[in-house]
Amino acid sequence: MESALTRRQSRILTLPAILIVAVVTQAPILATLGLSLVRWIVVRPDLGISFVGLDNYAGIFSTRDFYEVVSNTVVITVVSLAVCTTLGILFGLMLNNQFPGVNVVRTLIISPFFVMDAVAGIVWRTIILNSSFGWNEYFARMVGVRPFDFFGVHALLTIILLIVWQWTPFFVLIILAGFQSIPEEIMDSARVDGMGWFKGLLFIRLPAIMNHIEVAVLLGLIFVLKVFGLIFVTTRGGPGYSSANLPFYVYKTAFLGWDVGRAAAVAVVTVAITLGAVLALFRWFRGRLAEAGQ
Amino acid sequence: MRFRARVHLRVPGIVLIWLVAILWSFPILYMFLTSLKGEADVLPPSLWVAHPTLENYATVLRQEIVRYILDSSVISVATVALCLVIGVPVAYAVVFGRLSNSDNLFFWFLSTTLFPPVAVIVPVFLIFRLAGLLDTVAGMILIYTGFNIPIVIWMTRSFLLDVPRELLESSDIDGSSRFASFFSVVLPLARQGIVSTGLLVFIFVWNEFFFSINLTYIHAAPVPVYMASYMTQEGLFWAKLCAISTLVVLPPMILGWFAQRSLVKGLTMGAVKG
Repeated sequence: MESALTRRQSRILTLPAILIVAVVTQAPILATLGLSLVRWIVVRPDLGISFVGLDNYAGIFSTRDFYEVVSNTVVITVVSLAVCTTLGILFGLMLNNQFPGVNVVRTLIISPFFVMDAVAGIVWRTIILNSSFGWNEYFARMVGVRPFDFFGVHALLTIILLIVWQWTPFFVLIILAGFQSIPEEIMDSARVDGMGWFKGLLFIRLPAIMNHIEVAVLLGLIFVLKVFGLIFVTTRGGPGYSSANLPFYVYKTAFLGWDVGRAAAVAVVTVAITLGAVLALFRWFRGRLAEAGQ
Repeated sequence: MRFRARVHLRVPGIVLIWLVAILWSFPILYMFLTSLKGEADVLPPSLWVAHPTLENYATVLRQEIVRYILDSSVISVATVALCLVIGVPVAYAVVFGRLSNSDNLFFWFLSTTLFPPVAVIVPVFLIFRLAGLLDTVAGMILIYTGFNIPIVIWMTRSFLLDVPRELLESSDIDGSSRFASFFSVVLPLARQGIVSTGLLVFIFVWNEFFFSINLTYIHAAPVPVYMASYMTQEGLFWAKLCAISTLVVLPPMILGWFAQRSLVKGLTMGAVKG
């Protein structure tokens, strides 16, 4: 068909995007890889810039901070995703009914997803969880106990709480769409078979929306591994490194320690862990799908 | 897609659901309540606003926050425009064009969304410093455009796949070029999806924290930077803090409300049928 988009036209349409995305996201990743092999401490110009091979990696792997941060990242990711999925299913079930104000209820539950990290962190930290003036203190005094120490010993838990609060809505949106896509006939046949509500959920509805749950978890994983703002405005990764994740560790190494080489090395490790986790999860889901198909 | 009651809810169930929803959004609701209180009435915490006032809003709108809101607006709107202008044609070419490697190309774009911003921040910072792009609106637009084009392509592709091929082919027969067909056939059908994609990018950029805190200081600083510094400078004025917070979360919440349905569809299509 002569009026169809020609090969050349198609290529021209894609060119600007390829250029910008390559320059802004891909080239810097290569540069990060290169920088991870040099010693460059910006605040010590006297040391200069020198090639040090894998020294930066050796340096990271020999500090305890790094292992604490990796372990935090794993804990934050696994726990948040598990809780988000569970709550996503529960809230999805709630919203999959017809009742007065269902639209308002959905809006209320979804809204934290659209609140910027900076505001979410600040609002939780001050008016809600503040141990001298917030609701935290108010309830503690009512019950007669000491306010819960959200920003000391339990800082990591606080970060998870905030992530769950912000990201559950995303899971709800996708899982609810899943529940709504189940054909009514399937539900009817389950009812004819005399299945109870819970059995129907376990054996019919949840398996039917497995794809939706997988998409939510996969996207959730990508996003949760990037979390930074919530940590920055609430705990600053502290006390010590007890609530820092990998992105925050890169930030601290780069912009507080000004150690370019080591920051780049941590960034490379972060990318490797991210890609590894996403790929592993993807494989696992595909494998499960193939098994179910047999 | 139909909305049918699966279970007939009784009153206690409905009340419970409402309670859960109010509790979940409590920080936002209470933030709004606090923004209506006088500074002296903020503590101890209470759900009752004895003397509701808009004074906090009037005060904060006279402060420097206005400049940050302007920066945020310029950066967000420009990014959305650029992302759509550059990204939508790619989706169009991938779906309706003749590319030998359209699948690979699409997956390449998709894979770039996997990389966390920390993967690029160190060289980007160094290059920006060298090129004089640190703390400039142009620099922020550039970085956000690069990071959001793949999202536009990803979502727009889902919406374009919905456009029946026959429609496009019949307009070919009518003799209109595929460039013209985009505007006459495809755009009207996919408009809602494309608009929602734009809204989503706006929300992402407006809320973005990592790049804005690391690449701007004063001249091009968007709202999140202001919020982060407010804590240290004027952390004690909670009512004003809440007024500012309410103002800056309102745009993404309203736009998000419009975009939510398309968001799910755009992000999950391909992986999920339905």
